[in-house]
Amino acid sequence: MDAATAAATRPAAARPTEPAAGPAAEIPAPVPAAGRRRRPDAAGWLIRAAALAAAAAAWQLLTTADVTFGLRFDRLPSPAEVAGAFAGRLGSAPYYLDLAQSVLRILTGFVLAALAGVAAGVLVARSRRAGDLLLPVLEIVRPIPAIALVPIAILVFPRDEQGIVFITFAAAFFPIMVSTRHAVRALPTSWEDAVRTMGGGRARVLANVILPGALPGVFGGLSVGMGVAWICVISAEMISGEFGVGYRTWHAYTVVDYPGVIVGMATIGAIGWLASAAIELLGRRLTRWLPRGGGRP
Amino acid sequence: MTARTAAVAPARTGMAVTLSGVTLGYGRAAVLRDIDLDVRPGELLVLVGPSGSGKSTILRAIAGLLAPEAGTIRADGVPVTGPGPDRAMVFQDDGLLPWRTVRGNVELPLSIRKVASAERRRLADGWIERVGLAGCADRLPRELSGGMRQRVQLARSLAGSPRAVLMDEPFGALDAQTRAGMQRLLTGVLALTPATVVFVTHDVDEALLLADRIVVLGRGGVRAVLDVPPGARAASPADPPPAGAPGGVRRALRDQILTELEDTA
Repeated sequence: MDAATAAATRPAAARPTEPAAGPAAEIPAPVPAAGRRRRPDAAGWLIRAAALAAAAAAWQLLTTADVTFGLRFDRLPSPAEVAGAFAGRLGSAPYYLDLAQSVLRILTGFVLAALAGVAAGVLVARSRRAGDLLLPVLEIVRPIPAIALVPIAILVFPRDEQGIVFITFAAAFFPIMVSTRHAVRALPTSWEDAVRTMGGGRARVLANVILPGALPGVFGGLSVGMGVAWICVISAEMISGEFGVGYRTWHAYTVVDYPGVIVGMATIGAIGWLASAAIELLGRRLTRWLPRGGGRP
Repeated sequence: MTARTAAVAPARTGMAVTLSGVTLGYGRAAVLRDIDLDVRPGELLVLVGPSGSGKSTILRAIAGLLAPEAGTIRADGVPVTGPGPDRAMVFQDDGLLPWRTVRGNVELPLSIRKVASAERRRLADGWIERVGLAGCADRLPRELSGGMRQRVQLARSLAGSPRAVLMDEPFGALDAQTRAGMQRLLTGVLALTPATVVFVTHDVDEALLLADRIVVLGRGGVRAVLDVPPGARAASPADPPPAGAPGGVRRALRDQILTELEDTA
């Protein structure tokens, strides 16, 4: 739609009415709207579908024939059993309670991490003193995988719930902070200079240059942050939760409900994919102004 | 030509800028030492010099983006301590905020000055039309050519009704044909504002085309300050100098500038 409106307004630009007419030659060619990603053709789709079907068939064969050939497939549920269990779970209320619990945890932790990560990243990139103050602590904590903080979380937070949100927060915070910091540092100075020569102060520069300019980089961090946050919320739930998809998956294992384990895994994968896709989509919408790639109309 | 018609803001006048004993540099090495320069109200002063001569540095200092290491810069007698909306700047490239539309960019100085939104839009659209971009107001910078982007920058710098416009090689990245068109447009648009203009270029013909006065910069600082009599200006750099004295004056000026520049090379 953008391309269409641009094309419609182009002739007007070629005939400037005021002081001097610019040469028509400087009007750019329309930006190709489609991305460069190759889409599979009919044969491609066929091969893809066949590959999936073959994998499912191999799984079905290995499990129903109880193959034990180095690896033991005799105790794994077959795809048919998993499908049955999945259908059963989808019809039960606890499934959605677990789902809601996990989603609430990750959203809380992730939103807090996004706010704190962007704030810390901007602060550290823009102020030398803030960097002196914050960087040593952050750099020491950063290499510790968030999941290794579980004992601390259990010790410090009176409730499991807070501990799990904290783990999620810690996991997402660092990728977001680091990519915000790099994005802010990489901003061309001319944008800031432009706003300052219009009389804009620090708040203007922050709101009109730094935050929008760093957005593409910030979204890189949000993407990565969402990925690790999801991993961590599941792991933390497996260790110390009472509800949640991660807890339910581990619980299924302990009560020898193996189809339930696979249902949990599939749920985790699906929600993780949805969360990443949502971030990706939002990022693309908000950074449409990027010269190429990100700005598919 | 020095006294331009003030069609847009008749009450306002161009700014006088004075540099006295100014030393400028980034970090340890001084780029320019002990510079004295007077920019007269309402004139179009061109700073011409080779790369590394510090012409952009002077411009940034006048804008208030770079504090002098010694000496003072005065705008209408008041020492410059930082950037301000009275001194607008046009950058060579990359000056537009790419996430704002043409209108969004042109409205920005007005929004910083807290102009009400309807008035903001009216003023911005007026300038967008004056630079020949009517109908492009809703486009993003990436959808514009280099020449069109520079027109937006020009409109944006004038929208805030500054008393001085500082232009840092604004046409430096354009091809020859677009550049000639932009030079014509600039002359026309600047006639609508009483603002003083300081224009930086390395192109001697561009300097001769636009300037009321030319300051030639070399390694050592200011090499020469030359008046350009109105008759010495050509309609475009491609035109042959007209027969008779004015053409001769222009050719003599050109030779003089080139000689000064050669000495510094």
